[in-house]
Amino acid sequence: MDFNLSKEEILIQKMARDYAEQAILPVADQIEKDNRVPDDIMAGLAELDLFGMTVPEEFGGAGAGYVPYVLAMEQIARVSSGPAMIISAHNLGLGALVNFGTDEQKAKFVPQAAKGEHIASFAFTEPGTGSDPKQLTTSAVRGGDHFVLNGTKRFITNASYKGPLVLFAIEAESGQPTAFVVEKHCPGYSVSKPWSKLGWHGGDLVDIYLKDVQVPVENVLGKIGDGYPILQYGIAFGKIGMNSVALGTTLAAFELAVKYAKEKTHRGQPIAKFQAIQMKVAEIAGIYESSRWLAYRLGFLANNTKNYREFAKEAALAKWVIARNAQEATRISMDVHGSYGLMEDYEITRIYRDAAMGPQVEGVIHMQQVILAGDILR
Amino acid sequence: MNIVVAMKEIPDIQQIRIRNRKPVTDDVPRTLGNIDKNALEAAVQIKEKTDSQVIVVGVGSSEVEDTFKEALAAGGDEARLVVWDGELESSQSAQLLAALITKIDSVGLILFGEGSGDNYSSQVGSRVAQILGLPQVGYVNRIEIEGSTARVTRSLEDCEQDLEVALPAVIMVSSDINTARIPSVTQILKAGKKPKEVLAANELGVAIPAAQVETISNLAPEMERRQISVKTISDLVKALADEGFGGGR
Repeated sequence: MDFNLSKEEILIQKMARDYAEQAILPVADQIEKDNRVPDDIMAGLAELDLFGMTVPEEFGGAGAGYVPYVLAMEQIARVSSGPAMIISAHNLGLGALVNFGTDEQKAKFVPQAAKGEHIASFAFTEPGTGSDPKQLTTSAVRGGDHFVLNGTKRFITNASYKGPLVLFAIEAESGQPTAFVVEKHCPGYSVSKPWSKLGWHGGDLVDIYLKDVQVPVENVLGKIGDGYPILQYGIAFGKIGMNSVALGTTLAAFELAVKYAKEKTHRGQPIAKFQAIQMKVAEIAGIYESSRWLAYRLGFLANNTKNYREFAKEAALAKWVIARNAQEATRISMDVHGSYGLMEDYEITRIYRDAAMGPQVEGVIHMQQVILAGDILR
Repeated sequence: MNIVVAMKEIPDIQQIRIRNRKPVTDDVPRTLGNIDKNALEAAVQIKEKTDSQVIVVGVGSSEVEDTFKEALAAGGDEARLVVWDGELESSQSAQLLAALITKIDSVGLILFGEGSGDNYSSQVGSRVAQILGLPQVGYVNRIEIEGSTARVTRSLEDCEQDLEVALPAVIMVSSDINTARIPSVTQILKAGKKPKEVLAANELGVAIPAAQVETISNLAPEMERRQISVKTISDLVKALADEGFGGGR
C-alpha cells in the first residue's frame, strides 16, 4: 500500500494551489459578492487544463485521471468554492459524454469542452423530482430525424455557459428515461436568473426551460431507455468533484482555525496556548485527514474500478462522510474564532456557508446512507 | 542558440521547521528556488522570441531527476544533471556546473537567479563565469537579445544601469524580472518524457576542490518580546523612539 503522491501529482497540487492563491484569492470576495466567476479566472483555469484533466488525450484532454483531479480541486475550493463547483459540474456532464458517447458525439462535443472553451452541464433534477427517474416529466417526442423536448430542469450548474448539456427526459414511445446531448442556447432553450444560494457563490445554479427544443436523433446518449444507468454513473462519478469541493472547505476551515489560534491573544498569550482551543484544532485536523484519504481513495478507485456498482457504493460512503465532515470542521473552526467568526470580515463565515451546501447537493447525504446500507444489507 | 539555466535543488523552505533554533530538513521535499524559476521564465521568454532551446542544469540529491521535472514542466526543453551526495559549497557547485555547461554546444546565454533559495550566497554564477572565461552581469531585471549581444538593465540600489554584453555571457537575474508562469496539467505530465541526462560527478572528468568553508553553526536569530506596555500614544511614540524607531523627527 503506497500513500505517497507521485512527483507529477505533487506538482499538479502545487500548480492549483499557486493559481488559487495568486489569481483567485484576490477576487474571492468579488466572486462571493457577484455570484459569478470572472472571465479571466475561467480563462486561467482553462489554460492550466483544469477543465479537461480527466478527459483522455485522444479527445483533447490532459489524461491525468481522477487522483490529480481531486488534488487540484481541493486546492481551488480551499480558496473559493465557486470555480471548483463549475469544474465539478462540468466534469459530470463531460464524463457522461466520454463514457457513453459515440465516437461522433465525442469528436463533436468533447474537445472544446476539455479545453474549457465550452462548459458542460448535467441536467436531471426537476421541480418535482430530485433523484427519482420515474418522476421525470420532461418529455422527448420523436419527430422525423429529431426529438422535440419540452420541460423544466431545476438547480442546474453551468447552464448559462455555452457548451453541451447532458439532459434526461422521458422518451415518449418507450416511456423510458433517456439521456440527450443538448447544445445550450439552441432555439427554445432559456434559463432563469441564477438562484441566490447560501454558499458556493460563483457557480451559477439556474432553472432551464425547454420549449419545443429540437435535438437530432444522433444526440441520444447511449440508447433510448439508457437514462437510468447514465444517471447512476453520473451521480457516482460526480461525487468525486463534490467531495473535493467539501474537502477544500475542510482544509480551509483547518487552516483558518490554526491561523486564528496563533494570532488571537487573550491575557497576553495566543489562544493556541489554551487546551480548549488545542482540542478543537486537533479535532479539525483529525476530521480533515479522514476526509482527505477517503476523497483521494475515491479518485484512485475511479481510475481503476471496472465494477460500477462497487464504485457507486464507495462514492456514496465518501460523499456522506466528507460532506458531513466539512460541516463539522467549519462549525468547530467557527468556535475557535468565537464571536469574531460571525463577522463577514472573517473568511470563516464564507467557509461556513459553503460547507452547508455539500450535504444537500447532488444527492442528499441521507440518500447516500440509504444507497450504502442497501448494498451492505442486501 | 542554447540558453542554459542553472537551478539549485533545495529543501522546500515552507516545510522546514525550526527546532532549538536549528532548521530541521529531514524528510522535507526537494524543490527549486523561486529566483531560479524567474531565471527559467526569462529564458523561456527569450526562447519564444528567438530560435533557441532551453537547457536546465543542476546538481542535486538522488532525487534530482524528479525535482527537475518542475523546471521541464515550466518550459525547459531538456535537463543535464549531476548527482552529488552531501553538502556542496559554492566553489564546488561552480566547478560541477561549469563542467556540465562545457559539454553543451552553442551556448549563447547562461542564466542564474541572483541567489539560491536556501543559502543565498550569490557566488555560483560569478564563479562559473570566471571558470568559463565569460563576461557576467548581476542583478538584471530586463534582457533583450540583439544578434550576438544582450542589452540588459541592472537594478542597483540607487540607479538602473543599461549595459550591452557580448554573448555568450553569464547573467544573474533578480526576482522582479518577471512572474514565473504556472505550468499546466499537460506540461507537468509531459515533463517526465523530455530528454534528460543524469551523470555521476566522476563522469564529468573534472577535479572537485575540497571544501574550504566549514559551517560551524546555523541558527535562527533569537526573537525576544520586550514586554513593553504603554497607556498613551505619547508613551508609545517615546517607547518606539527609545528602541530606535520613529526617526525623521
